[in-house]
Amino acid sequence: MSAVTQENFESVKYLLNGTISSIKKVIPMDLDVNQPSRLENHLQLEFGVLIGITGDLQGRLVLSANSQVFSSVGESMYGIPLEGEMLSSFSGELGNMIAGNISSIIHEEDINLDITAPTIMEGSTKVKGFSKALQMQVDLKDKGNMDVCLLLDQ
Amino acid sequence: MARILVTDDAAFMRLQLKDIFEKMGHEVVGEAADGKEAIEKFEELQPDLVTMDITMPEMDGVEASKEIMKNHPDAKIVMCSAMGQQAMVIEAVELGAKDFIVKPFTPERVEEAISRVI
Repeated sequence: MSAVTQENFESVKYLLNGTISSIKKVIPMDLDVNQPSRLENHLQLEFGVLIGITGDLQGRLVLSANSQVFSSVGESMYGIPLEGEMLSSFSGELGNMIAGNISSIIHEEDINLDITAPTIMEGSTKVKGFSKALQMQVDLKDKGNMDVCLLLDQ
Repeated sequence: MARILVTDDAAFMRLQLKDIFEKMGHEVVGEAADGKEAIEKFEELQPDLVTMDITMPEMDGVEASKEIMKNHPDAKIVMCSAMGQQAMVIEAVELGAKDFIVKPFTPERVEEAISRVI
C-alpha cells in the first residue's frame, strides 16, 4: 500500500470510528451500530438529512430513516415527540450535532474537518455522485433503525 | 432579567434555547437564522447577550461575531455549536466570546454559561 493510500485509509478509519462514537454520544438511547458495509450503487431514501464534509476529507454524511424514527430520537433528547416543521428542523440539527461531534472527535487525531449547514430531504430521494460510500445501520431497538452513510469524494 | 438574541439556523434549536431562557426569567427579544440577520438584529435590538451558532448559511457565527465585536467591543456573545474542537473554542474566545456551549447541551449547561456572563 502506498504512503498516500495508507494515510487515506487511516483517515477513513478515524472518520468511521469517530462517526460511531459521535452517534453514541449524541443519541441518548439504547442502540447498537452494526458493522459498516460498502454501498455500491446510489443511496435511496424517503426522509433524511445531508451534511457536507470539507477539509482533510471531502464528502457527505447522510442520516436516513422513517420520520417516526427521527421523532423518537427527538423525544429521547428533548422529552417531546416532534412532527411537521419542527421535526424537519430537529432532523437537520441532529445531523449537525453528529457531524460536529465527529469533527471534534477526529480533530484529536490531527484530522481537520469542517461541516456545512444541513440539507433536509423529504420524499423519495436518490443520492448519487460519490466515489466511495460506507453504510452503517443504527439499531434503535423497538424504535426502529437509522441508516448512516459516509459518502466520500476521494 | 436579560434581553437575549438567539442565533441558530435551526428553528427547533431556537425554540429550545428560548424555552430555557424564559424559564430562567430572561426575555428573548429576537431570533436570527444566520450571521447576517444576527448583525442586523443586534444593531436594531441592542440585546444584553447573544447566543451564536457557528455553522449557518449566508454568514457563519464566527464571522458575525467578529463583525459585532468590531462595532460593539463590549458585546456579550456566547457561542453555541456542535463544532467543539479546541481550535474553534480558542478562536471564539480570542475574538471575544464569553463562553462556548457544545451541542447537544443540557439546560443546566446553558444556565451556567448565561449566569456567569450576565
